[in-house]
Amino acid sequence: MNEWFADVAYKFQIAFLDGERWKLYLSGLGVTLQISFFAAILGVAIGIVVALMKLSVKKDGKRSLWSVIAQIYIDVIRGTPSVLQLLIMWFIVMKGSKNGVLVAVLTFGINSGAYVSEIMRAGIQAVDHGQMEAGRSLGLSKGQTMRYIILPQAIKNVLPPIGNEFIVLLKETAIVGYVSLSDLTRTASQVSSRTFEAFMPLIGAAVIYFIIIKILSKLIEKLERRLRKGDHR
Amino acid sequence: MITVKNLHKSFGKIEVLKGIDYHVEKGEKIVIVGPSGSGKSTFLRCMNLLEQPTKGEIWFDGQLITDPKTNINKVREHMGMVFQNFNLFNNLTIMGNITLAPVKLKLMNQEEANETALSLLKRVNLTEKADAYPSQLSGGQRQRIAIVRSLAMNPKVMLFDEPTSALDPEMVGEVLDVMKELAESGMTMVVVTHEMGFAREVGSKVLFVDDGIIMEENVPAEFFTNPKNPRLQDFLSKVL
Repeated sequence: MNEWFADVAYKFQIAFLDGERWKLYLSGLGVTLQISFFAAILGVAIGIVVALMKLSVKKDGKRSLWSVIAQIYIDVIRGTPSVLQLLIMWFIVMKGSKNGVLVAVLTFGINSGAYVSEIMRAGIQAVDHGQMEAGRSLGLSKGQTMRYIILPQAIKNVLPPIGNEFIVLLKETAIVGYVSLSDLTRTASQVSSRTFEAFMPLIGAAVIYFIIIKILSKLIEKLERRLRKGDHR
Repeated sequence: MITVKNLHKSFGKIEVLKGIDYHVEKGEKIVIVGPSGSGKSTFLRCMNLLEQPTKGEIWFDGQLITDPKTNINKVREHMGMVFQNFNLFNNLTIMGNITLAPVKLKLMNQEEANETALSLLKRVNLTEKADAYPSQLSGGQRQRIAIVRSLAMNPKVMLFDEPTSALDPEMVGEVLDVMKELAESGMTMVVVTHEMGFAREVGSKVLFVDDGIIMEENVPAEFFTNPKNPRLQDFLSKVL
């Protein structure tokens, strides 16, 4: 039994303490969070714009050019693997860029935007059409009604799936190792190959992801509760 | 005030309005009745272009509003509309519902709008609901707020699209009372409704719309006691 404890302690020692390796995990976590945070903001911004584009119609009620462009964007992004998008961004589109984090933020932001836009579209369409008519009947423009009436309600509707998307996004950033960014996952894998001990670094990284996502989902839950104060049905 | 000329409206292949001509004078209270599916709501909704007419002209205050060059948002500032399902903004408080349009359209600043809202709320006895959300109100209260929201824009005409049809019976009265008071204040009103008592009491003219045209038009007394069109006779025998 003592032997077993000594063994675990030793593995812990080489995985986290020797050479102050815990600092590597922290900086890896920093990279993961940085990419996720800015990509999420970019994704939501793109998502709202693309959802509005996709819903736009011409005067005669037919699909607008904007709507077609939005659909192509969504199809391309959803139809190709995100690893490939990352590689294309890194080796072709932004070739020569020294800022790997920026490339990753753009890649994941653009990728997430496609999914967010479909979530937003569903949220907008779920708002009763009468809300738009009431806004228009008061003399508000379509844009004003969208901004002050429809979008606030749509965002409240889609908070659960958007939260889901944030979680997926955060975990998806684990592929940035492909373009040699040292995020949390890659750090763990590097430590394990240096120490020839896989258990501690990998499980350690998994636990960190788990805790971060638990905190994130708690925050989203809180936000949901706050936004729900308007409906007591 | 409103002139409708040769109004046609089709949804796809179905022609709902088949040529309506009508003129609403300032101060008139026009009540439109008819069976469901007759086109009476569509007729009303064409007046502020919530439905785009397929053919025909709508004039409001000397302006041809069916002209594509007309800024319809500006026109609608002067035409209030009340819906069957209230359509209060669910994400805003009652105060927010009433003040949003006047403030965002820069007709009033927030303080002026708040004052106007409070005095209007007083008129319908709902001052204490100023900070409530629509979901916390009863149907009758919501519809009274919806009327007040339109009035805050100081409209020249008010359109009502079956304002009491979605209400529980005991709440119909409170909404009709507000509408009657509004009528007495001299507001020009066009009302689509199934409330025959209201039509008789308040209407200056009653229109019977069926099959996409105005089948009969008369002052209430004549309209209800001496209907000429057999379709109207049949309709009245069912609803009275």
